Amino acid sequence: MKDLLQKLEKDALAEIAGAESTAALQEIRVSFLGKKGAITDIMKGMRDLTPEERPVIGALVNRVKDTLEKAFSQQLTELQQAAVAARLASENIDVTLAGRQSFRGSLHPVTLVSREIVEIFGRLGFAVEEGPEIEQDFYNFEALNIPRDHPARDMQDTFYISDDVVLRTHTSPVQIRSMLKQQPPLRVIAPGTVYRRDSDLTHSPMFHQIEGFLVDKNVTFGDLKGILTHFLNNYFGQGLDVRFRPSFSPFTEPSAEVDIACVICNGKGCRVCSGTGWLEILGCGMIDPEVFKSVDYDAEQVSGFAFGMGLERIAMLKYGVSDLRLFFENDLRFLRQF
Amino acid sequence: MIVTYNWLKEFVDFDYSPQELADRLTMAGLEVESTTAIGEGLDSVIVARLDSVERHPDADRLTVCSVNKGDEVVQVVCGATNHKSGDLVALAQPGSVLPGDFKIKKSKIRGQVSLGMLCSEKELGLSNEADGILILDPSSQVGMPVFDALQLKDTAFEIGLTPNRPDCLSLVGVAREVAAICGQPLRLPTIEISPAGEDISTACQVEIEDPQGCPRYAARMVRNVKIGPSPDWMVQRLESIGMRSINNVVDVTNYVMMELGHPLHAFDFRELSAGKIIVRRASEGESFVALDDSEHKLSREDLMICDGERPVAMAGVMGGQNSEVQDDTSCVLLEAAYFNPVSIRRTSKRHGLHTESSHRFERGADVDMVPVALDRAATLIAQLAGGQVANGVIDNYPAPLEKAEITLSAEKTGRLLGIYVDLSQIRRLLEGIGLTTATNKTDASGLIDVVVPSFRPDLEREVDLIEEIARLYGYDNIPVTMPLANLESQASKVELKYEEKLRNALVGCGFSEIINYSFVAPDAVKKLALAAEDPRLQSVRILNPLTEDQAVMRTSLVPSMLETLAKNLAYRTTDLHLFEMRPVFFAATDTTAGRQELHLATAMTGARDPFSWAGSDARVDFFDLKGVLEKLLDILGVQKVSFSAESPEPYLHPGKSARVKSGEALLGVIGEIHPEIQQEFDLDQPVYLFELNLDQVFALAGHRDAFFVPSKFPAVERDSALLIDEAVEAETVLQIARKNLGKLGQDAVIFDVYRGKGIPEGKKSLALRVRYGSTEKTLTEQEITKAHGRLVRSICHQLGAEIR
Repeated sequence: MKDLLQKLEKDALAEIAGAESTAALQEIRVSFLGKKGAITDIMKGMRDLTPEERPVIGALVNRVKDTLEKAFSQQLTELQQAAVAARLASENIDVTLAGRQSFRGSLHPVTLVSREIVEIFGRLGFAVEEGPEIEQDFYNFEALNIPRDHPARDMQDTFYISDDVVLRTHTSPVQIRSMLKQQPPLRVIAPGTVYRRDSDLTHSPMFHQIEGFLVDKNVTFGDLKGILTHFLNNYFGQGLDVRFRPSFSPFTEPSAEVDIACVICNGKGCRVCSGTGWLEILGCGMIDPEVFKSVDYDAEQVSGFAFGMGLERIAMLKYGVSDLRLFFENDLRFLRQF
Repeated sequence: MIVTYNWLKEFVDFDYSPQELADRLTMAGLEVESTTAIGEGLDSVIVARLDSVERHPDADRLTVCSVNKGDEVVQVVCGATNHKSGDLVALAQPGSVLPGDFKIKKSKIRGQVSLGMLCSEKELGLSNEADGILILDPSSQVGMPVFDALQLKDTAFEIGLTPNRPDCLSLVGVAREVAAICGQPLRLPTIEISPAGEDISTACQVEIEDPQGCPRYAARMVRNVKIGPSPDWMVQRLESIGMRSINNVVDVTNYVMMELGHPLHAFDFRELSAGKIIVRRASEGESFVALDDSEHKLSREDLMICDGERPVAMAGVMGGQNSEVQDDTSCVLLEAAYFNPVSIRRTSKRHGLHTESSHRFERGADVDMVPVALDRAATLIAQLAGGQVANGVIDNYPAPLEKAEITLSAEKTGRLLGIYVDLSQIRRLLEGIGLTTATNKTDASGLIDVVVPSFRPDLEREVDLIEEIARLYGYDNIPVTMPLANLESQASKVELKYEEKLRNALVGCGFSEIINYSFVAPDAVKKLALAAEDPRLQSVRILNPLTEDQAVMRTSLVPSMLETLAKNLAYRTTDLHLFEMRPVFFAATDTTAGRQELHLATAMTGARDPFSWAGSDARVDFFDLKGVLEKLLDILGVQKVSFSAESPEPYLHPGKSARVKSGEALLGVIGEIHPEIQQEFDLDQPVYLFELNLDQVFALAGHRDAFFVPSKFPAVERDSALLIDEAVEAETVLQIARKNLGKLGQDAVIFDVYRGKGIPEGKKSLALRVRYGSTEKTLTEQEITKAHGRLVRSICHQLGAEIR
């Protein structure tokens, strides 16, 4: 019986090692270790053994069973691993084929620039205000100290809807609307669409501006320089050269135009800056007392500054777009790049 | 305004290089927009000596010259006759480009090599006409560039003047600024007038009928002038600042206007009826032929210079043909006047005549300059046209204009600018630009009284002076500070947040934002086949559009969207996801301004999955776009959204379009573009589009469902196929399902629609899926079956459906 068991162990181990699939291995297991398996058969002979032999053979049976179980489980693991390896070996893709993409959306560059500027001023506590694009002469001109017969009207070619109604030529009427609505202190940033009767390579009859203004007690021209220098450094980069030079606007006094060192040539002089090394980027100034008068603020009590800039111009500089017309052609091949 | 470096030097001494001068002017508020070096690029035109001049062997009218350049002798063929051996001439060497883009090349003329050209003054742009070539002074240095030898090198600066600075519309005005910048005195041009002969007042009378329009009118007479061309220096001066020479008398009036900034006019005195000048308003409808050769119908508001009978000049704007200086004019009446800026501006606008003269008067000329400019011009005319200035001067100035007197506070100046300046510094700065300052009359400390000279009409208020102080102090010298403000923030409008949410969601869904012009062609919206009473046909019209294609404000974003799609399709960009979020405009009934409404147009066309290599050729359809719309409305928290197929838009496919509603409110429309409209807009593939009124959408946005705790027990789904009439809309089925969800049902969807084999004609099969679950336990099979059975039965009962 001992011999039988040893032979069985040997046969079984051979068969286990030769099993080529988990299913075959399972069958082998049943044939040896199952209820009706070979070991059970041998166990039937136990009753013919002497009491002395029984525990010896019993221990042997347990050892054989144990050995076989281990062999089975080892073989099973190996077979499973081999199966996984075989599957992995057969499954190959070309990873260089394109990924499954959906459409990539994009915001218009003018929207992007507007958002970034609003965000910078938003952090300084400026709230967004808006105004109508079809605007009354009063808000667009009169209240901004641009009377009807003043040559300053020539600075902006205007589209008229009627004698008293225009397409707003700048976002500055938002100053008037905001100041009429609220009392100082006031910090406002106002992006918007504006219109001028001018169309050539560098002028579009519709374009976008962003207006900002601050009214409070004791606001100075130095503060205006501070806020705008802070903004330009935030937007175009720290350490950027900024200069303020005298200019004219009917609704600010003193007025200034702000230049930054040309971002294309770093101030060395190039085609974009007409060789000057400077790029005109925005207009600004201290709010004129006449403007305060038209909104019933006391110019002896409060002062303030205002500034405005063209968003397309900033987008052109920021993204290196050389042709203004691209912004309104809506060619997806252009828009997709933003 | 153009000024030149050398001309400025006549009035002020300065050491700046042209580049430095340009920078200084720019930083003083006179922005130099461009700088042109006169004579630059003409260095290859040099002084040369004619070693010999011989007749051309094959042409009688030509000469062959040996031209000595100093280091080399070359042969040049020349057609002039005024040159001889030994003369110094201007040789344009091959490669030179003369004014008028005239390129000089090596050539052969009748068989003789010619290595350049001997130039006349005209060819060098130095005079209007020329007899023969330029013969230079014998002391000129051979080999030197001609412009250097003639000392004609100069730099012209084009200054972009702001409308508040009429004082700088002249050389003297700009020189005054330069003088202030460099701290040197200003030199005014010399006037040496020696009048003689019969007094002007015996021949001529001036009456001002409208002293409001014309506060001052002065005149001088110059007799026995001989009209002819101006001398070269005058021609060169005028050319250097971009003006054309006409004749000696007219050139003088232009020259003095440029030099002193005051416009002048010269009349042919024999044409003035009764020797009279009357300044009056025109009669309505009176006609007048100006120097532009066109006839102008005058209005009662036009200020005219008239003689005894008729208008002879449009005051301050343009002279008249009937009294202009002619070749045989011998007696000139010279006018210098000061006109009301508003009056000049109105007349100039009304007649579309913008002249150098009107430009200055409407911005404000210098009334005190009237006699100075008059005498300066009379001096020059006598010099250049050989005339004799008559004795006497007419200067009609009934009510002298008062000079502005402004009280200025040093404290306020410092407070507005953020600097400390004391009164002595302020006085020094203001006096530097010609203002008079004095201690304040009331003796208040920290105040001064400032008298503004008549050449600075822009300085009227204290703040105007503060600006001057800032400018002269130097903007660069004002320290940068940050304002101190209370920490307060105002919330921006919620609508702006919604706009941003929508933009972000649309970009996330793969859409690109476009921006079209707000103005469109009047027929753009008509292409949408709208009903005659549709309000979108009532667009706001622009009175002065640039072109008829941009004449009205758009009332819908749809036409521009379709045009944009067509344009992109033409570029073979065939798979498009675009949106535009912009206002549209309607004529308002209550106010004069228009009514503005924010709209969103979103369009899709082309392949659903164009980037795939796996061969999917599915095209986008109605439901792709509807899914986007539903998602957007969900993100905004708009409730009770429904889609109804009734009364679709005429430009949409009647079977594939819907009105989008929230409750009873109409939010917009969605659908496939009608095939005819598609063709009308040259779109060669189906387009799906929606347009929403965002003002309406935002008014209904912001709803949030109450929060619920998700169940810990698994949900179970049950499917049923329902055979139902073709006409029954899915939404109807779902509404009944939702009403009958009971306690256990959570949600119902339709996940398949089937027609065809096995389904009778006029019927369809809808696959309904209902989700069941409980927050308290795992549901039993029995409970689910019961609940689902009841739900399906109510659908079958109410809609006559059968379970398949």
